[in-house]
Amino acid sequence: MAAGAASDSVYRLVATALDTRFYRAIYDDVAEGRVDPVRHYVDAGWREGRDPAPWFSTRAYQEDHPDTEGLNPFHHYLQQGWREGRQARGSDRRGLWLVAAARAAEPLDWDFEPPAPVRAAPAASSGTTPDETLGFRHDVIAGLRPLAERVAAAQARSTRVAAGGLAQLEAAMTQRRASDGALHISVSHDDFTAHVGGVQLCLQREAAALAAQRVDHLHLHPATPWPTLRTADQLAPVGVLWNGQVVGVFPADVIAQALARARHRVGGGRRSFALHSLLGHSVDEVLAVLAAADLRRGHFWLHDFTSLCAGVHLLRDDVADCGAPPLGSPACGICVYGPGRAAHVEAHARLFAALDLIVAAPSQAAFDTWRAATPAPVGQTHVIHPHARLVASGSLPQPAGDGPLTVAFLGAPVGYKGWPVFRALAAARAGDPRYRFVHLASTPVRDAPSNIAHHPVTVTAEAPQAMREALVELGVDVAILWSLCRETFSFTAHEAATAGVAVLTGPDSGNIAAFVADGRFGRALAGEGELVALFESGRACDLARSVRKPAAYDLVLGALTVDLLGAR
Amino acid sequence: MKVLVYSSFTFSYLNRARVLFKTLRRFHPDWELVALITDEPPAGFAFDPANEDFDRVVWARDLGIPDFKSWLFKHDVVEVCTAVKGPFIHQVCEAGQADIAMYLDPDTALLGSLQPLIEMLQQDDILLTPHLIAYNIDRLAILDNDLSASRTGIFNLGFVAIRTSGEGARFARWWNDRLLEFCYDDMPAGLFVDQRWCDHVPALFDKVKVVRDPGYNVASWNLSTRKVAIGKDGAITVNGAPLRFWHFTKLGPTGDVMTKRYAGDNYPVYEIWRWYKDEVGQVTDKAIPERYWAYGAYDDGTPIAKPHRVLYRERGDLRAAFPDPFSTQGGGFKAWLAAEGLMADG
Repeated sequence: MAAGAASDSVYRLVATALDTRFYRAIYDDVAEGRVDPVRHYVDAGWREGRDPAPWFSTRAYQEDHPDTEGLNPFHHYLQQGWREGRQARGSDRRGLWLVAAARAAEPLDWDFEPPAPVRAAPAASSGTTPDETLGFRHDVIAGLRPLAERVAAAQARSTRVAAGGLAQLEAAMTQRRASDGALHISVSHDDFTAHVGGVQLCLQREAAALAAQRVDHLHLHPATPWPTLRTADQLAPVGVLWNGQVVGVFPADVIAQALARARHRVGGGRRSFALHSLLGHSVDEVLAVLAAADLRRGHFWLHDFTSLCAGVHLLRDDVADCGAPPLGSPACGICVYGPGRAAHVEAHARLFAALDLIVAAPSQAAFDTWRAATPAPVGQTHVIHPHARLVASGSLPQPAGDGPLTVAFLGAPVGYKGWPVFRALAAARAGDPRYRFVHLASTPVRDAPSNIAHHPVTVTAEAPQAMREALVELGVDVAILWSLCRETFSFTAHEAATAGVAVLTGPDSGNIAAFVADGRFGRALAGEGELVALFESGRACDLARSVRKPAAYDLVLGALTVDLLGAR
Repeated sequence: MKVLVYSSFTFSYLNRARVLFKTLRRFHPDWELVALITDEPPAGFAFDPANEDFDRVVWARDLGIPDFKSWLFKHDVVEVCTAVKGPFIHQVCEAGQADIAMYLDPDTALLGSLQPLIEMLQQDDILLTPHLIAYNIDRLAILDNDLSASRTGIFNLGFVAIRTSGEGARFARWWNDRLLEFCYDDMPAGLFVDQRWCDHVPALFDKVKVVRDPGYNVASWNLSTRKVAIGKDGAITVNGAPLRFWHFTKLGPTGDVMTKRYAGDNYPVYEIWRWYKDEVGQVTDKAIPERYWAYGAYDDGTPIAKPHRVLYRERGDLRAAFPDPFSTQGGGFKAWLAAEGLMADG
């Protein structure tokens, strides 16, 4: 079943390598239906696990490269996978194909070697292709995978992971920092030492503060990525970090057992927990683990809205802020995350009933969104604790003010962060001498409009200020932070402010819109139409550094739960 | 007030009909839902109506249409699935099975309650939804939509609702009579299955309500003048009115082309279509071959060509000679066609 037509660019690239004779010979319905095999594969075939050529197995590529989840595997391979050295495996059906072709006495390439991938031909017509008039959201929707399919893929991934036993875990946990049994348990959606992102950065800060306080730290995360909470019958092992070191993966009951046995050997040190994200966890397992450690009172962080919906960013169909409407609303009825929402709400209701939780929100905006939609008790204890704050730090170099307005996009060019909006704005202003567009990120975008200049910036532990330094050096005036979803806390917006850059954002960007609400750090606009008009009229130039004369700030990062727990 | 809703289809459309009935059940659990099927279950497919979201099945062969096989053979699949709509609704009226009878095409689905229609039927006896409730200005849109509606009928008969008494019953009897004899796709003759007939309805009957609310029967042919929006309150609206039901006509590349042409960047349209395709995918049974129709072939499996159906319906002598034209036993209509040299061009 087609889940939506793919874009012309996908079609053109796949057409360069799809073996139409193979596809027709192997799939009777394609031959009988007299459909275009390329169109069939890009619109439906890959989702159905069909293979486009004897040398390429769609399912094997998905299994070998789980980070490509949701993408057309063959298109991914042809576009970038082969350059990245990713391997393709042969189709399970190549034997059938050999037999069929031999019967038909057709000449064959018996090697099934992948041909050297070629770049897609440019569009036949100059100007815009028809699909561009549909907007980027059309393509996002066309690429959505049903939640059930993604959960099934996650389940399959997790069964390939071998779990360790009690002895291994207990041996690791004998390496203690705390002499008094002080322990902190944190739960999130991944191994924060191995992945990059806002929540991971927060957990790194929390972990470092725990180490400084000589508190033992047990971190739990799903061993493999999951798109939703797990239900009680979706078994999967849990990854364990002990004091920042990877221990392995274990069944949740083994972790609970280890904690229960350790309880009898500890003193009266502080014991705490923080739930950062329950994606990939089973609420029942988390409750069992906390009970084994004799923990009931702890912090529940609102880094995202996992507690309200399986669509944790409240981004309906990955294209628009939904506002967390009532469960069962028509919007939830059509949303790809709709089928997963009730389970998330119900599981968190049980969590809140079973534990004594303090809700920790990194921004008022995040709390307000959560409060309006959660079934948690009205009087639920909460605290607003931003991950970072700005501290005035003198002045910035002032530019002369006679150059074009420098307008930047910061970071990875992903849809929900607003790259398509920035891209469209730049394309619309091509040739306009009033503006200069720059993209600050580690890698350039291959098909970006020619008037977007890429400047390499890679933020690492060794160079945490790299983005700020680049913003100052390039004299960036404006950053377009057009997040489509409610940011609970935007490091990027704060970072832009430290460099004196004005932020332009959309109405649904949560903490970003709140951050600029008083006008000191930028402006929240009503919509994409107002953004376009602002640049068309030239009023955007009012945001030039030379006009605003911004102050400089330093960003002081917090240590999350440790800040809230206080000193030992 | 008892409401009966029916849909007419063959097994190759069972997946779409399942989505329709599921959405009907969700919004109107107390309405009686009837599947009107002009087909026989394919071999290898276990059809159990008890596991379906409709309350009962009515087989076209049981409608009491005289010389059923001969009558059926005169129609292709679209024509006959349309033609049986008339006899069924007429029989519902005659038997007093419901106070209100409503027809919905199998490729429609509810996204909101249809209760306002029931209210309209407190005043009027017949409800029809036009293809267009606003005219187009763009030339391509006029060619695609306005002139198309002029050819195929002002009203889309993917929906009709009537009171089973008064003018509603009189309409049902008339529709039954006309569809039994004149339900063909024959535009030069002024026929497009049941639709062109209904151009006459506002002239022939009283108490006819033309439903001009944009939330009903949204389809690719009227998207050029309808804008879909999804609010943060979770409501889906069309030109500001709550979305009630969508007509997912031509699931596949053809439908996609027209949808994209007229939805443009109105992305909620693609969200709704994504949902529908997913829903249909979930209830598609692979045991039903694509484009399956039990009455699409002679009893020896040879597909029946449309010209053979047309020939048969035009010639009384053939109908008299071959009362069961599907049968190939001892010659039959197929053998006659072959002898006349008419099989090759099928």
